Amino acid sequence: MIDHEVIEITLRSITVSGSATLLALTWCIPIAYILAGSTSRISKAIISILNALVGLPTVTVGLLLYMIFSRSGPLGFLNMLYTPMIISVGQAILITPLLISLLYEIYTSGKSRYWELALTLGATRVQASTLVIVESLPQTITAILIGFGRAIGELGVALMVGGNIRGYTRVLTTSIALEVEKGEFEKALILGAILLAVVLMIVISVRIIRAKVEGP
Amino acid sequence: MIKLENVWYMYPNGITALRDVTLEFSSSIMVIVGPNGSGKTTLLKVMALLYRPMKGKVMVDGVNYWSLNEKDKLVIRRNVVYVHEKPILLRRTVLENVAYGLLIRGTPKQLALKKALEILEEFDMKHIAHRRVRELSAGEAHIACIARALLLKPKYLLLDEPTANLDLQRRQSLLKIIEDYVRNGIHVAIATNDHSLVNIAKQVVIVDRGRVLTKANN
Repeated sequence: MIDHEVIEITLRSITVSGSATLLALTWCIPIAYILAGSTSRISKAIISILNALVGLPTVTVGLLLYMIFSRSGPLGFLNMLYTPMIISVGQAILITPLLISLLYEIYTSGKSRYWELALTLGATRVQASTLVIVESLPQTITAILIGFGRAIGELGVALMVGGNIRGYTRVLTTSIALEVEKGEFEKALILGAILLAVVLMIVISVRIIRAKVEGP
Repeated sequence: MIKLENVWYMYPNGITALRDVTLEFSSSIMVIVGPNGSGKTTLLKVMALLYRPMKGKVMVDGVNYWSLNEKDKLVIRRNVVYVHEKPILLRRTVLENVAYGLLIRGTPKQLALKKALEILEEFDMKHIAHRRVRELSAGEAHIACIARALLLKPKYLLLDEPTANLDLQRRQSLLKIIEDYVRNGIHVAIATNDHSLVNIAKQVVIVDRGRVLTKANN
């Protein structure tokens, strides 16, 4: 019973969470890279805080965003509440601590190896940074995958700021919640299986990409 | 000449690895010996301009390196090449790895690859040029790193435990190649636990607990 609506919801889930992951990467990569290169106490404190926030409850992020983007909130004039875009923003915020923590470890390890190597072979700082990022690519891909998995599987943000509007902001997790509420367990199970299949397919695709990046 | 003047170095974890080290590296081959954890690698990395001392000066050919701007630092740094104790290779073929230093210095790709192939031939490793680095033995990986450094023809080459992973034949072959390069004007500093390397040294430095105990000329 995979009808047109289920396909539409699945595609929306992938798009919204994919956008959220890409959006989060735009700030997570530079922040993690800068933190990895710093030995200051402030950097260490920031990383400790971010590590603690990895398990941030999704409803907390949803609630905060709701308060900020609701009509009476400071950013209410943007009219972003109950749009797919705000779900992406919320999911990007949600996965930020996780992505920075993972990328920080990757770049710390990469820097200890490749930064010194590049410098001693006569690289400029830009060339050395590029080398660290390029050589860390396989691990970075895995981190991105973990971030995407967390985004597509969350419910709190999508429900609170997305509103679960049929044909507009309804995603797989909110659909599952709705079907359970209605007592439609069979449909909820099918949607759950689709969610799992989507995640599995993406995991397999990324593994293939990673293998290609790493070489034969 | 690389000259260290009253250099102190402390790691971010608070361990002081070098204490008031004063040293001149001007000989053709300098060998640094000392027990594990004595500060040999740190000393070599300070000389390689990779670690900035917390106190003291690092002078390269009369210039105080750490007082320079980034552009001038790069010019000086390109005269000093350090080879790590544990081989660090990139996710590429051996040939591309060996050519990497030339490529980032602006050498055209075809020329860089041709020169890389030539130096691999010198090390009798041409047959592994197109292998991925994960297929190499520890000894082959180490030689590839040394070949990559020598290809740049630096004025100062700093080797950390260069013979650690090598069998007797490779070790002798490497030392012969190093001596050939030394004859062509390269200055080589070697940090090692292999005391037999003292025989090829023109200058011997003994390090213990972050201090230079003895500086002797052979």
